[in-house]
Amino acid sequence: MMSPGRLARLVGHNAIRNRRHFALSAFGIVVGIAAFIFFLALSMGVRGWVLELFPIDQVEVIAPRTSLIGSLGMESQADLNDAVAAKIREHDGVRAVVPRMSIAFPALGVWWYQDTKLKFDVVGDGINPTYLADEPQGALFRDYEAEEKGKPAVQCGPAPKLFCPDLNYCDTRNNTCHHRVPMLVSRKLVEIYNTQFAKSRGLPVIGAMEEFIVQRGGLSKMRLHLDLGATMIEATTSTLRGPPRRIEGVLLGISDKAIPIGVTVPIGYVERWNREYLGDEAASTYSSIVVQLDGKDQVGPFASWVEKQLGLRLQDSQGQQFATVIFVVTLFFLLISFCIVTISAINIAHNFFMQVSERRREIGLLRALGASQADIRGVFLGEAALIGLVAGVVGMGAAVATGTAVNLLARQFLPDLPFQPASFFAFEWWILAGGLVFSVLFCLLGGFLPARKAARMAPAQALAQQ
Amino acid sequence: MAIQSPNPVVRLRDVHKAYGSGAGRTPVLRGVSLEVQSGEVVALVGQSGSGKSTLLNIVGGLDDADSGGVEVLGVDYAVARDAALSRLRNDRIGFVFQFFNLLDHMDCLANVILPASFARETRGGPRGAIERGRAVLDRVGLTELAHRRPSELSGGQKQRVAIARALFHSPELLLCDEPTGNLDTDTGREVIELFTDINRKDGVTLLIVTHEERVSSTAGRVIRISDGCILDGDGQAEARAEERSA
Repeated sequence: MMSPGRLARLVGHNAIRNRRHFALSAFGIVVGIAAFIFFLALSMGVRGWVLELFPIDQVEVIAPRTSLIGSLGMESQADLNDAVAAKIREHDGVRAVVPRMSIAFPALGVWWYQDTKLKFDVVGDGINPTYLADEPQGALFRDYEAEEKGKPAVQCGPAPKLFCPDLNYCDTRNNTCHHRVPMLVSRKLVEIYNTQFAKSRGLPVIGAMEEFIVQRGGLSKMRLHLDLGATMIEATTSTLRGPPRRIEGVLLGISDKAIPIGVTVPIGYVERWNREYLGDEAASTYSSIVVQLDGKDQVGPFASWVEKQLGLRLQDSQGQQFATVIFVVTLFFLLISFCIVTISAINIAHNFFMQVSERRREIGLLRALGASQADIRGVFLGEAALIGLVAGVVGMGAAVATGTAVNLLARQFLPDLPFQPASFFAFEWWILAGGLVFSVLFCLLGGFLPARKAARMAPAQALAQQ
Repeated sequence: MAIQSPNPVVRLRDVHKAYGSGAGRTPVLRGVSLEVQSGEVVALVGQSGSGKSTLLNIVGGLDDADSGGVEVLGVDYAVARDAALSRLRNDRIGFVFQFFNLLDHMDCLANVILPASFARETRGGPRGAIERGRAVLDRVGLTELAHRRPSELSGGQKQRVAIARALFHSPELLLCDEPTGNLDTDTGREVIELFTDINRKDGVTLLIVTHEERVSSTAGRVIRISDGCILDGDGQAEARAEERSA
């Protein structure tokens, strides 16, 4: 058997000589491998992005719908409390448990924005600030009211007029300063604002939240009023225990852990407000419990345990749904890529059979000069592998270039939305390496039968060809 | 009559070969026996289709005999596998063809060192192969044409390059199939002189298939083939006796 170096030299000579055949054979493989890498990288990129937004190793435990209220789309929350949270925390494979508590009474939000007074009924919930410790806004997302407890209150008020420090507001009930309630919103809400609200009202679109805050003049300008116990919905008839009162909030930014539609504040505020307006039961009942598991494999067993042991259920994971859709779409495109590469391999086989026929005399000569059957097979398979290697590299380059172009076009033509990822593609090393390996493998597959035919050719008859 | 010797370079015993099958089966060699001694120059002459080229191919291991024994340079073809036969052709046998069989996408030097691609080991590695290639090109008087393509050479020059390639691994046996068949008289004479020189100086055994008198006249022994049989001295087929006995 020839040494790899000698084989490479001979294969290189032949490739240069048969450039046209080489290019014709490689073309289909280039297209197939480029499509394979492009779609796989797109799938992985989008999948990673979706799972970042909707992590599937994170589930949300909710109370089961009751037959009567469930038909109205409402959910009973009676069973979610500290005792349940403690049971879940003790279960195997549970990394973290984060209860969420909805603001269970009406509240009215007022936001002065671009000389427009935006008024809206507030939907919101509270979560433990430690859940956001690793986020950029984590340091500011605190229960300031609890921290102020026991400390001397800073006075403010109408006469003589005293001002509160930055990020504080004056509570007119007792003329004392309080830190504004830190609030977070979800990307989804900003997206809805951008696409549904801002356009119809001539308001500017919010791009990167950090830039938006700086443009507005910093966090001190990101304030909004919250009228607790008030509502714009006239038909609302709830019996609240306390009178309406105004507080101020500060919008810190966007978080994927915020409630999809509404505002999220530290859970201590919600507990106190629910107690103030609805009583103790509302202050100890959670709307859901977010559970972080050790891995996505734990989801199934955990869901089963929650249903059987606690009589609760998991909220449908959007991440899992999206991931499934992406998987199916990816599979479809990969199948198309596979078909292209397979047809290309057949094309390579056809081209190589022609080559073997045209190069009979050369094969005979090589045999006369001492090439064994294995050497001849090696030469043809080496040529096929070289086509695969070159086509794989070109296909890889084409896929990356197309991906880059798509990203550039997306950046140029899609609005600057918070949902938009930096890149739609994840050109992981294993995808590129896989594309290259596939390319070489399919070419070797295409070249196998022609190489065998060449090796088995009788040298004397091959040499007799004119 | 076949010559009997303890260690001939080539020994054929009752070799039969036919092409085709069934009713279309055409015998090409019919019980050929032959021995060639080391250092001999043997000319195989005969009319077109007499089987001389087939005989040469069988000796070179490029074709198989249907029956009979073939032993070349001590290698019994009946038991040798493809790798062993390939090694024999690469190391110890040189081929020279009527149509030169040079690869036009390579220059002369690359053509000459082509056998090194299939060698188990080449003295001095790739550089050693190039040095050896230059030396054999020098031997055939074509040093200055080392980097020319075969298409740029005359017929005689091409055949010299082909001879240089055959000499690359210093073969013990040179098998030549109509080596002057595609050359003019003067160039043909030069090639014959080169063969004579190779035989005299290097002791290489030559088996030359030819139908040209000027080539056979330089051979030490002339073997005539007719209808797949070797003719004896009076022009009678050796196989006649075998046919009678069959």
